[in-house]
Amino acid sequence: MTIKVKLGIYNLKVITKEFIAILQLNKMTKIGFCIFTFILLLAVLADYIAPYNPYERVGPPLSPPSMKYMLGTNDIGQDILSELIYGARTSLLIGFTAAIVGTIIGVLIGLASGYFGGIVDEVLMRLTDAWLSIPTLLFTIFLVALTSRITLFPTIYSIILAISLTSWPGTARLVRSRVLSIKESPYIESALAIGASSTRIMFKHILPNVTPIIVVTIIMTTARAILVEASLGFLGLGDPTVKSWGMMIHYAMKRNAIILGMWWWFIPPGILISLLVLSAYLIGIGLEEYYNPRLRRI
Amino acid sequence: MKKFLLRRLYTSIITFFIVITFVFFVIRFTGDPLAELEDDPRITPEVLDKIRALFGLDKPIHIQYIDYLVNMFRGELGYSLHYKRPVIDVICSKLPYTLMLLIPSITLSNYIAYKLGVECGWRRRSTFDLIVSSIAFTIRSIPYFWLAILFLYIFSVQLRITPLFGAISPGKGGFSLSLDWIMDYLWHYILPFTVLTLRASLALIPYVRNALIEVLEEDYIVTAHAKGIPLKTVKYSHVARNAILPVITIMGLRYAFLIDGAILTETVFSYPGTGKVVFEAIINRDYWLLQGAVVILTLSVIIVNLIVDLIYALLDPRIRYR
Repeated sequence: MTIKVKLGIYNLKVITKEFIAILQLNKMTKIGFCIFTFILLLAVLADYIAPYNPYERVGPPLSPPSMKYMLGTNDIGQDILSELIYGARTSLLIGFTAAIVGTIIGVLIGLASGYFGGIVDEVLMRLTDAWLSIPTLLFTIFLVALTSRITLFPTIYSIILAISLTSWPGTARLVRSRVLSIKESPYIESALAIGASSTRIMFKHILPNVTPIIVVTIIMTTARAILVEASLGFLGLGDPTVKSWGMMIHYAMKRNAIILGMWWWFIPPGILISLLVLSAYLIGIGLEEYYNPRLRRI
Repeated sequence: MKKFLLRRLYTSIITFFIVITFVFFVIRFTGDPLAELEDDPRITPEVLDKIRALFGLDKPIHIQYIDYLVNMFRGELGYSLHYKRPVIDVICSKLPYTLMLLIPSITLSNYIAYKLGVECGWRRRSTFDLIVSSIAFTIRSIPYFWLAILFLYIFSVQLRITPLFGAISPGKGGFSLSLDWIMDYLWHYILPFTVLTLRASLALIPYVRNALIEVLEEDYIVTAHAKGIPLKTVKYSHVARNAILPVITIMGLRYAFLIDGAILTETVFSYPGTGKVVFEAIINRDYWLLQGAVVILTLSVIIVNLIVDLIYALLDPRIRYR
């Protein structure tokens, strides 16, 4: 029995085949994929590989790295290595979810704007332009800080909401420009002629042709979302009930770890954030080159 | 050109309206603006009602919105609960520090990105291009704040050649033009400035490079070479001159990213600018101050983008002569 998972015009077999082709195309993409898998494994297997429970006091506070605590302990005696491993979960979860939600918003706005044109296009594009020119992080901060008036402290959900609400305009512009060119194709005209509804044309005929762009933007937006999440955590706007790399650096800074030279507290989380973002960018670039062969010559 | 600029002006005003409307609704829908005062035991419910009436918070929401717009144009952004001063005063006293960081930084980083990007694109796939491009790519993945922390750790903590925090040593007093004061200011200035410029210029290089490569394939470049024009002239007058146009718009958009960078960098170096104000507003839950910072900083982004559009119009003959 063959398993067929339908995702638009794709099924599992096609996806696997494409996936292997993408990996073979570019050495950097392979490296990116390896780093990404490593961090993903950290997140998935956190319960098994973390030496201690990161939420419990397991040793004397502020102890330097030793055989017992490989990266030392933080100001309340939690094991830093375990914190790091559990932090991978938060980064990946928030990064991916925010990127997917943000991309969905962007795709819907881009589709509507490109397909309907006229006044809809004018209104949506003014909104997109406005959103594109504002400082993203500043607005994310604003949204998270104010929504935490209701929830008392920033939660994973309010962070995801804020990041996705500020990450869609690029996608909307990109999708719109593609829709504008696809709209002129003969098959759209035929679909119109046999009386297909606008929704059907948009989602059945145009959307599958934009899928490659969507896949690339989800990956690229994930990278940006992870950076924004880390920056929010650093500014003290992380969810205090979960471990996150940004929050770790926030507490390290607050307890003067930098001035006291406790590098094991603030260097490793930064390296992990950078590696995760780098791997996402590398994968994204590989995908871009795969779908747009013109880029390979550059 | 007039038409182009008028259109841009119109877009900017629309953008500003969208932003302040958004800010207004986010503030109103996330809770009572006076919630922080309700917890204060010294304030009785009657006084609270009086304050509510004083600020017009008992009026219907659309009237409040109009009041808000009017106040916005009169520069009244509310009262900072932490600083106990009007928000506009707090921000205006901090803004010079941030602008003194941002304006030189954006100018220098654009220049560096232009020079290095042109060089990379012109000699694409050479060792030089490979090195610069990979550095640019890697730096793009490093969070701003962590880069700043690394600089602080290496130069201030380990090497002890730069100060640990602030814009001025304690006891140096306010602004003066004495050599002593300026040297002290520059001494504090160098690290945040380097971090911002490094990050901003490296982020821009790939754009310049790719734009340049696209122009390299144009027919008129082949013609220019065929005519025997010196390579240097082709490089700067034909290739770079045409490649720079699409990049200029991106340079304007990068200013918004630079503000995000300033928030993080100023926090790391405890530099007393507007970015630090944003951080303090978060920590102290001073929502009026945060709102004021958002409005003023967005306004500065809009103004910078207008200036960039003006430069664009002057550089692009298709718009200049229309």
